[in-house]
Amino acid sequence: MKTLAVVVTTPPYSHLTITALTYVEAALVAGINVIGVFFYQDGAMHANKDISIASDEYQAIAHWQRLQQQYQLPLHICITAAEKRGITCDSIDSEQVNKAFTVSGLGELVELTTKASRLVQF
Amino acid sequence: MTTIEQQTLASLPKGFGLAIINSKAPFSSNDGKDALDVALMFGSFEQKVSLFFQGDGVYQLIANQDGRLVSIKDYLKTFSAFEFYDIEDIYVCQQSLVNRQLNETFHINDVQVLTSIEFSKALNRHQHVLRF
Repeated sequence: MKTLAVVVTTPPYSHLTITALTYVEAALVAGINVIGVFFYQDGAMHANKDISIASDEYQAIAHWQRLQQQYQLPLHICITAAEKRGITCDSIDSEQVNKAFTVSGLGELVELTTKASRLVQF
Repeated sequence: MTTIEQQTLASLPKGFGLAIINSKAPFSSNDGKDALDVALMFGSFEQKVSLFFQGDGVYQLIANQDGRLVSIKDYLKTFSAFEFYDIEDIYVCQQSLVNRQLNETFHINDVQVLTSIEFSKALNRHQHVLRF
């Protein structure tokens, strides 16, 4: 079976993130096996619970959460990228990390890449 | 520093690991370091990874630079560790060098200078591509 892995490097307030979300949701709706989304660089900011985006703007984080719940879509954040952006990940129950996201490292990106038939970066 | 033959590229199998394209200058953003971290991680997991330098990314290969002069940790030094991670395929776009009037003088060995066509063919041999 064909598998898809996605890398998101844009922050939650970026319009490019909307493209990523639209793409991933379209893939899921089409029944494609999306094995995971890896948030790298500014993408790691998605896991920050303290980010608040004006309510009349696109709520990227809420949409990722929805996809995670609806499709059991694994969302991985790079711990190094997250920590340098002020997200404290030192404990499993870190209050600052959105529970929809799994704190991972670049090793997870290696694993997703080797398992995926296709890797798409945003 | 030699232009490799197209035949060599043609003989490589398809679906050949990960290609990382470096397209940014070394000290204006963190992209070069972020790409390096990914490359080294793939190397330490013994996964095939090739590095491509294109556009302003070619500045990452130019010799005699020192990020410390602008208070930036000189991650370019780590490039010399590629052989220990079995990262052997390092390609640079000749046209990008010419456009910037840069010599083919690099701070690491075994960099292969490719014409645009060779560059795109080499890239096409890889199953996955990440761009930084």
